[in-house]
Amino acid sequence: MNENTQYWINQGGIQTGPHTIEQLKEIGVTGEAYVWCAGMDDWKPITTIAELTDLLPKANESHEGISDATPALEQETQTHSVAIPPIPEQPLEPQPQYSQQTPPAVPNEQCPPTNLVWAILSTILCCIPLGIVAIIYSVKVSQKYQQGDIEGAKHYSEVSAWWCIGTIIGGIVLSPFVSLIQMAMMG
Amino acid sequence: MRKIIYFFIIVAVVVMAAAIYFTYDPAKPGNIFPRCFFLTFTGYKCPGCGSQRAIHSLLHGDFLQAFRFNAALVVALPILVVFAISEWKRNSWPRFYEIVNNKWIGITILFAVVFWWIIRNVFNF
Repeated sequence: MNENTQYWINQGGIQTGPHTIEQLKEIGVTGEAYVWCAGMDDWKPITTIAELTDLLPKANESHEGISDATPALEQETQTHSVAIPPIPEQPLEPQPQYSQQTPPAVPNEQCPPTNLVWAILSTILCCIPLGIVAIIYSVKVSQKYQQGDIEGAKHYSEVSAWWCIGTIIGGIVLSPFVSLIQMAMMG
Repeated sequence: MRKIIYFFIIVAVVVMAAAIYFTYDPAKPGNIFPRCFFLTFTGYKCPGCGSQRAIHSLLHGDFLQAFRFNAALVVALPILVVFAISEWKRNSWPRFYEIVNNKWIGITILFAVVFWWIIRNVFNF
């Protein structure tokens, strides 16, 4: 993760993105926001991501009362949880809810076509088992997309499309040869 | 506009192919249909062997016979219809599209095809 990393953010149930850190600064985030970027397994509370904690409202601004009451030692060890709502026992409570609403790695961009239908058709109808390779690449499209790797998904989408086209054309081109051989063997 | 043209080309090709496969029977000896390329050269059946005969049977409403010629084709048809609907209604039902195009469904199909390919050569059906 660096300063060019693109983050998706979910604040109060509204999901937006991708944003760079600079853009997040302009939008303004609260400690209750959830964040996802490529490479993460699931949405995480913004307070657990070191790169983004600087964007949060400062501790002594938002929680002046608490920081007066808590000893300095505790404040040091809990720098991450400064902006979490006042009951520290349940800081992660909303997370399962967010996970259900927005599964991980579903960024705003649509998944590129997996071509699975064409891959299956070319396997069943074209006499060349290479259609199976097209199916493998179709699976890779959804796999990459579910990991949040849009570029990879687009790449494999094209690869699977070419395997489908190759298999279909191969089937059409080779069929007359098979007929010729059959005729030669019979005659 | 381009989409409509493609659509009509595909429909025309499918209708023509259906007419040919309805009229002529690929199961009869000495027919005009090409034999499977893979079977001719390797002696092993490919996952699609029997599809032409199965399509002929399907067009005549004989599902059982079609299933005997190529079970994978008969099983795949409803699955393909579900995929086509998910693609067609993608914007109205994005959740449905997401579920149908899950990678686990793709992996299942992949293994099913390979399994089918192996067992049909082992047990010769």
